Amino acid sequence: MNKNSLFKARTGCMPFSLLQLLLLFWVAISSAQSIPITGTVRDSQGVLPGVNVQLKNKSVGTFTDGSGKFQISASPDDTIVFSSIGYTSIEIIVGTQTNLNITLKLNETALDEVLVNAGYYKVKDKERTGNISKIIAKEIENQPVTNVLAAMQGRMAGVNITQTTGVPGGGFDIQIRGLNSLRATGNAPLYLIDGVPYSSESIGSFSTSSVLVGENSPLNSLNPDTISSIEVLKDADATAIYGSRGANGVILITTKKGKAGKTQYKISSSTGAGSVTRFMDLMKTEQYVAMRKQGYSNDGIAPFPANAYDVNGTWDVNRYTDWQKVLTGGTAKYNTINAMVSGGSAQTQFLFSANILNQTTVFPGDFKYKKLNSHLSVNHASLDQKFKISFTGGYTIQYNNLPYLDLTSESRLLSPNAPALYDADGNLNWENNTFNNPLRHLKGDFDAMTHDFIANSVLSYQIMPSLEVTTSFGFSNTRHQESTATPYTVNNPSLGLGSASSLLSLNNVNRQNWIVEPQLNWNYTFEKLAVSVLLGTTVQTQNGDQVVYKGSGFTSPSMIHNIGAAAKVSVYQNDKTAYNYQAFFSRINLNWDGIYILNFTGRRDGSSRFGPGKQFATFSAVGGALIFSAMPLLKTQSLLSFGKLRMSYGTTGSDQIGDYQFLDTYNNTGVAYDGTIGLEPTRLFNPDFGWETNKKLEAGLELGFLKDRIMLTGSWYSNRSSNQLVGIPLPMTTGFSSLQANLDATVQNQGIEFTLHTENFKGKNFSWSTDFNISSSKNKLISFPGLEGSTYKNRYVVGESISSVKVYDYLGVNPTTGLYEFTDFNGDGNIIEIDDKKIIKDLSPQYYGGLLNHFKYKQFELDFLFQFVKQENYNILKSFPMPGTRNNQPSSITNQWESQGDLADYQAFSFNKATYKVAYSKYNQSTAGISDASYIRLKNVAIYYTIPETVLSKWTCRLSLQGQNLLTFTNFNGADPEFKTFDYLPPLKMITAGVELTF
Amino acid sequence: MKTQYRIIKKSIGLLLIFAFAGCDDFVQVALPDSQLASSAVFEDKGTATAALTSVYSKIRDYSILSGAPNGISHSLGLYADELTYFGVGSSPTDLYHNELISTDPELKELWSTAYNQIYAANAIIKGITESTSLATSDRDVVKGEALFVRALLHFYLVNLYGDVPYITTTDYAVTSKVSRMSVDEVYVLIKKDLNEAILLLPSIYLKPDRTRPNVYVAHALLARVNLYMGLWAEASNEASAVLNQTTLYAMAPLSTTFKKTSTGTLWQLSAESATYNTLEGGTFIFTALPPPRSALSPTLLLSFEANDIRKSSWIKTITNTTSSFSHPNKYKNKQMQGTADELSILFRIEEQYLIRAEARARQGELSSAKEDLNIIRNHAGLGNTAAVTGEEIVAAVLNERRHELFTELGHRFFDLKRTGQLTAVLSPLKAGWNATDALFPLPNTELLLNSNLLPQNPGY
Repeated sequence: MNKNSLFKARTGCMPFSLLQLLLLFWVAISSAQSIPITGTVRDSQGVLPGVNVQLKNKSVGTFTDGSGKFQISASPDDTIVFSSIGYTSIEIIVGTQTNLNITLKLNETALDEVLVNAGYYKVKDKERTGNISKIIAKEIENQPVTNVLAAMQGRMAGVNITQTTGVPGGGFDIQIRGLNSLRATGNAPLYLIDGVPYSSESIGSFSTSSVLVGENSPLNSLNPDTISSIEVLKDADATAIYGSRGANGVILITTKKGKAGKTQYKISSSTGAGSVTRFMDLMKTEQYVAMRKQGYSNDGIAPFPANAYDVNGTWDVNRYTDWQKVLTGGTAKYNTINAMVSGGSAQTQFLFSANILNQTTVFPGDFKYKKLNSHLSVNHASLDQKFKISFTGGYTIQYNNLPYLDLTSESRLLSPNAPALYDADGNLNWENNTFNNPLRHLKGDFDAMTHDFIANSVLSYQIMPSLEVTTSFGFSNTRHQESTATPYTVNNPSLGLGSASSLLSLNNVNRQNWIVEPQLNWNYTFEKLAVSVLLGTTVQTQNGDQVVYKGSGFTSPSMIHNIGAAAKVSVYQNDKTAYNYQAFFSRINLNWDGIYILNFTGRRDGSSRFGPGKQFATFSAVGGALIFSAMPLLKTQSLLSFGKLRMSYGTTGSDQIGDYQFLDTYNNTGVAYDGTIGLEPTRLFNPDFGWETNKKLEAGLELGFLKDRIMLTGSWYSNRSSNQLVGIPLPMTTGFSSLQANLDATVQNQGIEFTLHTENFKGKNFSWSTDFNISSSKNKLISFPGLEGSTYKNRYVVGESISSVKVYDYLGVNPTTGLYEFTDFNGDGNIIEIDDKKIIKDLSPQYYGGLLNHFKYKQFELDFLFQFVKQENYNILKSFPMPGTRNNQPSSITNQWESQGDLADYQAFSFNKATYKVAYSKYNQSTAGISDASYIRLKNVAIYYTIPETVLSKWTCRLSLQGQNLLTFTNFNGADPEFKTFDYLPPLKMITAGVELTF
Repeated sequence: MKTQYRIIKKSIGLLLIFAFAGCDDFVQVALPDSQLASSAVFEDKGTATAALTSVYSKIRDYSILSGAPNGISHSLGLYADELTYFGVGSSPTDLYHNELISTDPELKELWSTAYNQIYAANAIIKGITESTSLATSDRDVVKGEALFVRALLHFYLVNLYGDVPYITTTDYAVTSKVSRMSVDEVYVLIKKDLNEAILLLPSIYLKPDRTRPNVYVAHALLARVNLYMGLWAEASNEASAVLNQTTLYAMAPLSTTFKKTSTGTLWQLSAESATYNTLEGGTFIFTALPPPRSALSPTLLLSFEANDIRKSSWIKTITNTTSSFSHPNKYKNKQMQGTADELSILFRIEEQYLIRAEARARQGELSSAKEDLNIIRNHAGLGNTAAVTGEEIVAAVLNERRHELFTELGHRFFDLKRTGQLTAVLSPLKAGWNATDALFPLPNTELLLNSNLLPQNPGY
């Protein structure tokens, strides 16, 4: 079935054919005489509260109370289903019975029962037609991390996550199945927290949050401990229902909910410390000074210039400081306390949790990141279980106080013989104005306060046993205020600046988002055919407003955080943005006897980010699964316990281009002239750009052996995105550096993913299980008509990855000139970018994955996760200017060219010669500048000991020891192979100890 | 059965209410409060003026002509022989040692900001031409100033980079593929724009601080352009057009030449705030040693004549126990310090005397040339020039320009360049100097994005 034809009826509005379809399937249900049934549900250890007791195919249901008892009305030919998470469900035909005593068994692999959240609907893991990866609370809780994305690293096939800074509160870069868009900012997945879309657009501003690499990931506001599961939707079948926003995958975050039963209290706390994983191996003073002196002499500069303080005698040439250790070698303290209370009755359940987290930095000085989070979930159902309401709300306050500048780069480049940081009196040492002391940056700071509120209510009513109407209302509000204070005292005193030059930059963001999604759900079974139909519509509005302003002219540096004390306040940016979004979506699922499953999804989307006539687009997908293990033929054997073949194909889109890009407007500059604030053209405008489309094809095989003790899954995919929405780079002669437009280029991501779960040993006292995942993705630019004539001609190559770079072919150091040499491909005697950058290096990972082992011995549990990536990347050279300049260098830079005939590894040291600089910059952009950056990392270790209940009577106490980024095996010569944001603090190694009490 | 149908219909109907309520209109958002439609900008005098003055504020803050350290007052001072560099910045180090590379991001800024400002000027010219409700007099002023700005920026581009594209449109289909024009072609267009501006600009100042250019500023630039082109008669005439305005312009004493109220000023840039002084102050002034950024070169300091009051009035020397260094002290306050009584001056009357002196000398009008030269010399406390022949007078004028206009807008570098003396003067002083250094490299990204701009300037 083709969704396009279904939806094209009228622009943006629901066609009636679907309605008719729905009505067509409608069959009424007759009812019979009911009698009351009572009973008790137990498991092997005692009574079970909160068990769902439901009449099969009817809307009548209840839960067991605190002592495991239930009462329900049923007729003799009804079937009662008893189900509870973690237990195998039991079905009982009522017949003549009026009292039922049921014992539920813990289920072993529970694959039958595991439900996967697919966003608008839930599906049994076994019966899903799409590709959905999932991690659950237990895996997230194991990790001492502040951002939930960190907890996902290495655990999911096809999901590649890298941290952009080791500073707390920083951002992450996430790619689900490779890069789809040529636009660097167009590859973010869609995040939904309990169904509410959560904008991942940075709330930072370049003028205020440079310490966080310009990013301030809004996802920091989530407390990883309140998350019950994270699902990642990857293929067309799973993502097409998210239409225009599904191209880069969808991440569904579900928070914890309460369970019926006795009120349970849980308090946990953990504390620990973090430090930098690896330092670079840099020159010591002797080697450094020799290099510097040679640099000047090679340039013919003698005597040493007046400003060559490190070698001209101004500074002690024998002094040595390991600046990496001094400036980034500190210990970041980490501690967190969680409290949770949950419980409820059969009708109403609740969960409330609160969390405090503190983390300091590895920089000198008293900086810290604090997070306070509270979370409430309440569910209620009417007595007849027809009406249900659930509410989830979370409020988070984050406070981040950091140096306004990351000291990492300075710690690597500072001369190793630079003077002491403090003078004899304990004051900052400027060494008679010759030393730009790195601690000057600590006189200023970065301060951020973020308030996040997110709430979602879902109301549902079962109109008829097979028909349910659901409406969800979501609201989120982010208020963010950040500031960077740079008092005049951060400047060298010889500049003679006074307090009037102190600056305070502020960035205030207020982002509100509301969403309403009414839906109709219809489920019915015709003999062996189960049909579910979902119809829904989305109305969403996101309003943002951002003010960036600057105060200057403070009376004293101590007043710098008070904008009221500024003599002058200038507003640089006051943006108000509105993003309106509207959609209709639908799903039809046909399931024949649990063997053949077909799933159709579709969505018609309208987005205000496009100009008139370009706002609407339709996306759809079809997925199918064959569960061959359920076929009669295979049911008799015991080796293969589960087998499924699935395929899907469909389209998704992307509208990640920011708001109002199609308008021709002027903006305030915030800067005055003649006392009037100026107006400037906002952009080069193009009213004609439209949706980017992404076609996804997938095939998968899932196998379970020996009662699912071995589960193997494999999938292959091929995604193509075309009609690329890009900021086409332009020469500055146009006045701007880019233009938003659709480019007729096609990018393909093709890859395979495997996961393997094995229960290696399962005994009364000892068990051991292993999870392994590996993914490989190959990105390719399939076509790009007009590439040769376009401004992209020197960046992309058809047939190559879009994350590949063109580099020079490095040949060695010329023994005569002492300069680096490269292959002159066109033989014209000149080495220039356009003609000679001919070697193509793909910087995207070739493959990556993780290996997780879980051991349990009596009261002990041990988890460890290895993460591995095979990739190439820019190496240590990227972080360093030319050897010979006043910057420290890797100690490996030896055997440099010194005189004619030398067969050297490195070119002659030079302080400033253009010929050397040009050769050096080419060297950095040559095959020599890129090397293997593969690594295997012991990402996470968690050890638990549960104190036996006999010791603490009714209390459960669990002690834990957790570690993150503990060991790294790599040949990479830079700082951290995982890390791709050069010159910033890499992720930290973190070790924590914790205790958890439940009662 | 019937009731059930009704229920379903009702609930679906409810669903559709949500759907239809929105439909097309919902996803068409109104213009945000923070932005103004381009067409509306030029229907109101206030907003049209704000679009224009924002170009001036950018010229002041980030441009070739800015007083910030990467503007040419400082950077060409390093590149030529006016300043010695003490800082550790990579771009100024390259400039000081004449070791420029085409990938330098700060150099790229000079090029990028100029063309961004030219785009803004072109957008103003386009908008004002299409405007229907502005009074003609208001339109003339805005258009005249935009034409003047376009000419001014191209003048500096052509002098820094040689052959450059002259951009007169906002159409990116055209401007992304432009080719370089010869220096002569660029000059023709500069003069065309200036002559058109002269017809449109007022002869009075719209602002008491002379922060908006009037017609005489356009004449002054035209005089400068003709001087650089070697069109002596025209240079002399244009300078006269300015110098004849004796009620408007008169040289101020050296101590107040760079004050906001100076009567010698033709055009200066309004400060960002009424409490601010100039960016030049922050760039050049230091209070302790060693100099944190740059200091006046010994060559320049030693070249002043003994009685030159400019040396004591416009230069300040800082001394400690071991050494002493000097900085330009034309502007005496840092941007955010001191009484706000200084603005960045782009055109002043003294230059016009020197232009006319040179142009007259070149044409053989020796006595009137000497008259103009002596006006400047006498004003600086010096006696009349001893120069006799035309060549001597030209040399004397150039020497006078060096001491009158030091560390102002790269005058020294451009004077050496237009008189063909760059290599002769700079190579003995600067080890890194090559003849090809007369031109800056085009940013390499420009060449990568538009191959019509190839080839790169020689030597890079």
